[in-house]
Amino acid sequence: MSLSVKSPRSLRCLWRGWRGLSSQGGVMNVFDRSMKRRQKQWASSLLDSDKYDYLRDEVGSRLADRVYDVSRSLPDIVERLFLTDISDSSLRNRKKCEMPTQCVLADEEFLPFKENTFDLCAVLSHNINNTKYPVVVVQIHQVLKPDGVFIGAMVGGETLYELRCSLQLAELEREGGFAPHISPYTAVTDLGNLLGRAGFNMLTVDIDEVQVHYPGMLEVMRDLQGMGESNCAWNRKSLLHRDTILAAAAIYKEMYGNEDGSVPATFQILYMIGWKPHESQAKPAKRGSANVSFADLSKISKFPTDPQKS
Amino acid sequence: MSSSNVWSRSRARMRLFPELLAQCSGEAAAYGKCVASTTTGKQELTKNMCVKEFEALKSCFQSAAKKGVK
Repeated sequence: MSLSVKSPRSLRCLWRGWRGLSSQGGVMNVFDRSMKRRQKQWASSLLDSDKYDYLRDEVGSRLADRVYDVSRSLPDIVERLFLTDISDSSLRNRKKCEMPTQCVLADEEFLPFKENTFDLCAVLSHNINNTKYPVVVVQIHQVLKPDGVFIGAMVGGETLYELRCSLQLAELEREGGFAPHISPYTAVTDLGNLLGRAGFNMLTVDIDEVQVHYPGMLEVMRDLQGMGESNCAWNRKSLLHRDTILAAAAIYKEMYGNEDGSVPATFQILYMIGWKPHESQAKPAKRGSANVSFADLSKISKFPTDPQKS
Repeated sequence: MSSSNVWSRSRARMRLFPELLAQCSGEAAAYGKCVASTTTGKQELTKNMCVKEFEALKSCFQSAAKKGVK
């Protein structure tokens, strides 16, 4: 991202590609955090690990667009950029950037930053493991300055529904029952609650769908593994029968395949923007202070009378 | 990795899977149609409901694997 020198105020950014989750009292511990870290380490140690970055690059560029769209007078110089991640080898693999960057190996639940440190926090969590989002969002709210902005992207409810359904049907037909192979996702309706409870104002949530076409089901699974997104829930089954894989691949192609033989995989990305409260932000108007009525809406198409017409 | 262990061998076997499956596209489509029809019909999908189509697919797959993909 190229920035122009305009204001002397500096911008401190926190850019997080966070993965993995840990336990905390009162919140369900669904995912095995150390397994997730091992998966991320393995994925970034692959020789061709940047082959699997296409989804992250796409979501990252759409997220960066939203950073540009934030129309508040954010300072134009990025003084320092902090990159945090749960796996140190993916931090080492990062691309070079012209902003002065600092890498922090951090657990998203215990951000090692003082309160009120950051102007902007951009979180790209395109990984599928996100039940600890409430805790993370509260942490982010704390480290942001008042009137700081949080821009996040995460995968939502309809992601990989083709894979999920094919595996479910295959296991049902072959084995008589099925186990969850795909992590649960957040629905878009829950996001507003989540951010509101954490204390963010002026929320904006929107949905984007990225559909990627693959030759077959196994390529989908191999790419997910290469991205470091393999299942790490505690209740995961440790094996998938050969017959079930065969059955699921046949079902996937038959139910969802395209004419040219490829199969689609859908990633539903939810983007959200929230602001830490500050006096300068617009507040809801007081009850009873309205001076126009909805009934006047029909008059909008008429020209307004010019009061200075003589 | 220079050494060959069970993980690299099983990954190599899995890499052949798509090509072998491509040789049995007819049987795969028949099996897929059988399962897909249960999602729209009144009866629920139970175990071995499409066992005939699956056995045909599996034997085609196994013979393709025996012939070997060189």
